[in-house]
Amino acid sequence: MSLIHRFCGSPVKALLLASVMVAGAATAQDYSTMGITDVVASADRMLQRGDYRGAIPALEEVIKRTEPLTDPQGQDTCQTCRFELARAYYQMGNVEQGMKYIENYLDNEPRKKERMALRMLAQGFFEKQNWEKIEEVGERLLTFSDLSKDDEYNANLLLGQARFFLEKWDECVKPLTYAANYSKDPRITEVTEIMIASAMVKAKDWRKLFGWLPRLYRTDAKYDITLNLTLMEAGKQLFEVDQDFLNALLLYRMVLPREDLLEFANNRITKLSAKLSDDLQGGIAGREQQDREKEIEDLKESVKLLTDLPPYEDEVTFRIGQIYAEVKRYWEGYVLFDKLYRQDRTSDIGEAAMLQSVLILYDVGVIDRAEERILIYLNERPDGKFARTLLSMMMRNNLVREEFDKVVGLRKYVYDIPASTDADELSMQADLHYMLAFGYFQMKDYPKAGEQFSVILANYPEGTNFSDSRYFRGMTYMMVGDYKNALEDFQEYQARHIGGEHVSAAMFREAVCLFGLSGEEKDREKSAEMLKQAEKVFTKFIDSFPEDVLVSEAYSMRGDIEAAKEATNDDPYTLDRALKDYRKAIDKATVTAQASYPAFQAAKVYKLEFKWQEIIDLMKYYLDRWEEDADVAEAVYWMGQAQLEMGQVQEAVRDYLSAIERFGNDPTKGGIDKIILELIKMSDDNMNAEDREGLAIKIKLKLTGIEADQRVLRLRLRTLQAMLQGKEAGAAFGAGLIDDKQNLAEASPVSLALMCQAAEATGNAEEIERISDYFIQNYAESDLLWYAYKAKTAKLLAEEDYWGVLAVIDEAQGLFGAEPHMGWAQLAKADTLLKMEKYEDAEKEFNMCMGVSEWRGAIFAEAMYGMGRCRLAKGELKEAHAFFQRTYLLFKSYDSGKWAARGYIAAADVLLKMNDREQAKTTLQAMLEDEYVNTTPEADTVRELLKKL
Amino acid sequence: MNKNVFSLTAAALLISVGLAQAIPAQLVMGNGKVWEGMDVKRDGDWVEFSTGPGTKPIRVGADTIKEMVFEVKLDEEKLNELNRDQLFERVIAALDNALEPFSDFGDIPSNLTLYNALLMELHYKIGNFDKSLAISAKIATDDRDPVLQSKAQVFHALALIDAGRTKEAETYVVKLGWDKQISEDAAPEKLYIMAKLMALKKQYNLAMELVARVIAFNSQDPDWMQPAELLCAEVYTELGMFDSAEEVIRQISLLYKGSVEDTKAKSLKIRIEGLRVQKEQDTAESSEEA
Repeated sequence: MSLIHRFCGSPVKALLLASVMVAGAATAQDYSTMGITDVVASADRMLQRGDYRGAIPALEEVIKRTEPLTDPQGQDTCQTCRFELARAYYQMGNVEQGMKYIENYLDNEPRKKERMALRMLAQGFFEKQNWEKIEEVGERLLTFSDLSKDDEYNANLLLGQARFFLEKWDECVKPLTYAANYSKDPRITEVTEIMIASAMVKAKDWRKLFGWLPRLYRTDAKYDITLNLTLMEAGKQLFEVDQDFLNALLLYRMVLPREDLLEFANNRITKLSAKLSDDLQGGIAGREQQDREKEIEDLKESVKLLTDLPPYEDEVTFRIGQIYAEVKRYWEGYVLFDKLYRQDRTSDIGEAAMLQSVLILYDVGVIDRAEERILIYLNERPDGKFARTLLSMMMRNNLVREEFDKVVGLRKYVYDIPASTDADELSMQADLHYMLAFGYFQMKDYPKAGEQFSVILANYPEGTNFSDSRYFRGMTYMMVGDYKNALEDFQEYQARHIGGEHVSAAMFREAVCLFGLSGEEKDREKSAEMLKQAEKVFTKFIDSFPEDVLVSEAYSMRGDIEAAKEATNDDPYTLDRALKDYRKAIDKATVTAQASYPAFQAAKVYKLEFKWQEIIDLMKYYLDRWEEDADVAEAVYWMGQAQLEMGQVQEAVRDYLSAIERFGNDPTKGGIDKIILELIKMSDDNMNAEDREGLAIKIKLKLTGIEADQRVLRLRLRTLQAMLQGKEAGAAFGAGLIDDKQNLAEASPVSLALMCQAAEATGNAEEIERISDYFIQNYAESDLLWYAYKAKTAKLLAEEDYWGVLAVIDEAQGLFGAEPHMGWAQLAKADTLLKMEKYEDAEKEFNMCMGVSEWRGAIFAEAMYGMGRCRLAKGELKEAHAFFQRTYLLFKSYDSGKWAARGYIAAADVLLKMNDREQAKTTLQAMLEDEYVNTTPEADTVRELLKKL
Repeated sequence: MNKNVFSLTAAALLISVGLAQAIPAQLVMGNGKVWEGMDVKRDGDWVEFSTGPGTKPIRVGADTIKEMVFEVKLDEEKLNELNRDQLFERVIAALDNALEPFSDFGDIPSNLTLYNALLMELHYKIGNFDKSLAISAKIATDDRDPVLQSKAQVFHALALIDAGRTKEAETYVVKLGWDKQISEDAAPEKLYIMAKLMALKKQYNLAMELVARVIAFNSQDPDWMQPAELLCAEVYTELGMFDSAEEVIRQISLLYKGSVEDTKAKSLKIRIEGLRVQKEQDTAESSEEA
């Protein structure tokens, strides 16, 4: 369609000629001889008839004659004829000649038809595509102040088009907008609107464009193929070259799908063709026909252009998605990628879209969907190009979220990915093993973690985690107590990675491993040598890395080594050096735990040296340094201990009660339970009846003053109250708690221990299980935890689950060893082995009791008696008798004579088995004469027995 | 929804003239006969009119009239200007005033539905949901113009949602089956409504996904893009994704400057700034605690 507003072909009304025309007839050939009036009249007649060719000679003759005239009428006639002559040429299709006369007209005066002349001139230039001239004409037209709406519209249309084709993008917008606003022809409106949008794109005037486009998109102009391609091209330019993502996005997203554009264009071609066909039957001007045919051809051409274009929709969709994601409009990006993914997830773009969609799902925190998508991909395409990337993403995310079971659950996929020789892929594969290793590590599955680190060390020397793997493999060894292998890794790490991230830690752990190995070494000399080595490495570490976060622990451990040394004349100051290290450890600590350990270790050392004031000073120093973060309860406990030793009982009691009140509602404050036990001990050992009464009142008062929600504190105080009244009251209190189904979450170890004892005493298997399991799970560090193991052992013994008993005892002994209160465990172990008829093992275990001096007393007695039982069971009567005899001879006073009495009876029984009736009788009579045992219940039995002998 | 409210009716809206006493109207009867009434009056169940000066009045039962066509006189330019300036109350007043003479005929199907649809939309815009609902409920049952009917259903659902009437809104969209039309190919207005409903139910991720579909797959739709963009910014805000919300707001101000959505987006930006400060304070406090 031509956009030129054509010069109107309406019948000529040569009104201006009227003044000079006088009717007359003449032939063309006679014009030179005719009077001018006749010539004019002749021209006018022919023009009115539409005989433009015929009118030309007459008009030319008039011009020839009037040109020289200077009077206004003559000039007017000349100008009118110039104008009409030009029009005649235009009508005949000789535009060039017509333009010559129009220009002549416009160069002279008067110009009564100047606007029409200008439009005709513009049409002429339009034919020649001379846009500069059209612009000039348009500008000239618009200088008229009294333009009609129609003329103004036409002038703007001309000017706008001219500037558009002259690529004056900014300047064409205004006149084109005028034309679009005032056009009565919807086709012109549409085309000008599209031109405006295109000009704005070319001018990169995005702000104006985005203001304009909504108008455009309310019309069918949005289906213009050229416009869509222009927008897409501009979007591409902005995205790829200018990196102007926002504007690229806004352009891209206006591009309609290809099928929509084609459907619209084809429908339009059909309609236009049909209409043209109909109109041709009715008859239309040739020019109109040409215009309309051209419009159809243009449409067909753009359809072809679009059809021939390689598929762009998916690329555009992908790109829009990328931009949305780039500008943090994640969900908009996601739905686009999701579409491409669901459309065909096996295509290149579908695969890439899947990756992008997963990235966004992680960004927006929709993890489940991201993981579901990743797993589908990994199952379908373990060899897919994104397999490692996605797996890495999922593992990393789960590591961050501490979902370690999920990390190790991906092991299969790590191994499913085919091997590669590509450097990047190898690096990524190493990374996968590394994350897998950390998953295992965090789950405390150190052997499997070590296995993964070994995979890296064996196969990926170029991997970024290679050196770290050596260090962390050392850690996995160390965590399972394999100090030997751990030591090798830590030493090798230091040797191979000088300046490495973990050099300081490796050195520290090297020392720890040496310390551990010295403990394992049975050869004392070798053990001492290793300990010396450990001390040396700790010293090297402290000297090399004085500000390292581990330096506090190094001081603590070196302090432990010093404290364990025996002072000699040559070296009498080991404890002083230990104390110095502990002090340093407190000073260098970066977290509370690092400070607490040396503080309380130092307190123990001071206690060995009876330095009570030093303990108080140290604890104050520790409390000042760590304030609320400190283990206040433990510190107060130690201060109380020292005060007690210094005879400051009341001060100790006051501080203890204050600490209980302050921290007692936190069940994890183990120091409070220690204080409670210490108060009970003080009450028994250091207080008179009056003091005890005073303490009881203070506790009662505190109980009445605490808040209702301080349940832990309440239970602690009640436990203290009960235990201060004696063992029986404590046991009854524990039993009461069981009866009341005490909420275990409110119970701290001191109460739990009481409950364990009560449950054990009554053989309440269900409660033993409930309480001991809770105790073990929640207070692994508690000094009172052995009560849980003891109760558990009793339950298993009652159930005759002997292997179970041995396992529990192993666990308990692993935690508490041969502490004074752990004799029961050794005895139970031996007794269980005896029941299992493992006599030699049982006797050995009984015998081990004798090696622990703290167990001297009832434990010794029972162990001796047990050994006798072992021999008896084996039928070694003489040896059995000897053990029983030693029991009643050596351990008469223990346990109210219980074991001595049993020893007498067992010895007599053995003698009877040996048929030595008299000696048996003598043994029993001796028992009745033994003042340690003759009042025991067993003595009554013996008296009855002797009557029968 | 945000198009010039008068663009649909440009042909029908005329330059305002003073209201005459006589109400001319065309009466389309059920049997297809058309009467040109010069002065139509209402008398209970009857409609009385004359076909010309001096002619005898004719009475027809109101329920026998299929449709009445009134000539409504409005100053289109003025109303467009008021609308552009977001002076919706004044537009409503002008429409109410123009429609007042025809109030007796409200129960008879007529070309007034077009103007009532405008009122429905305007009342919704100013938050007068009850009035909007009253009109939309009526238009939604009028099947003469499926486009208007569909539009009424949309505004009915929107008004229920914005009025916070969650259960009614849910029942309504389920009744229309819109809850099943949430794929990327679904109509933008349905996706938008479902997104709003999900946001009302605080299912923000789902709301976000739905509104993202409006934006991503209907970006050439000039009617639903604007409200969808605003909703998008609102939901991002609820999700605590302030950077994303602000990016959307930036685009709203670029693309839809001076629109209702632009105004609301500016308020939202201020709210986000407050939320950011709050978040920073919370973070600082929690780090201190840690």
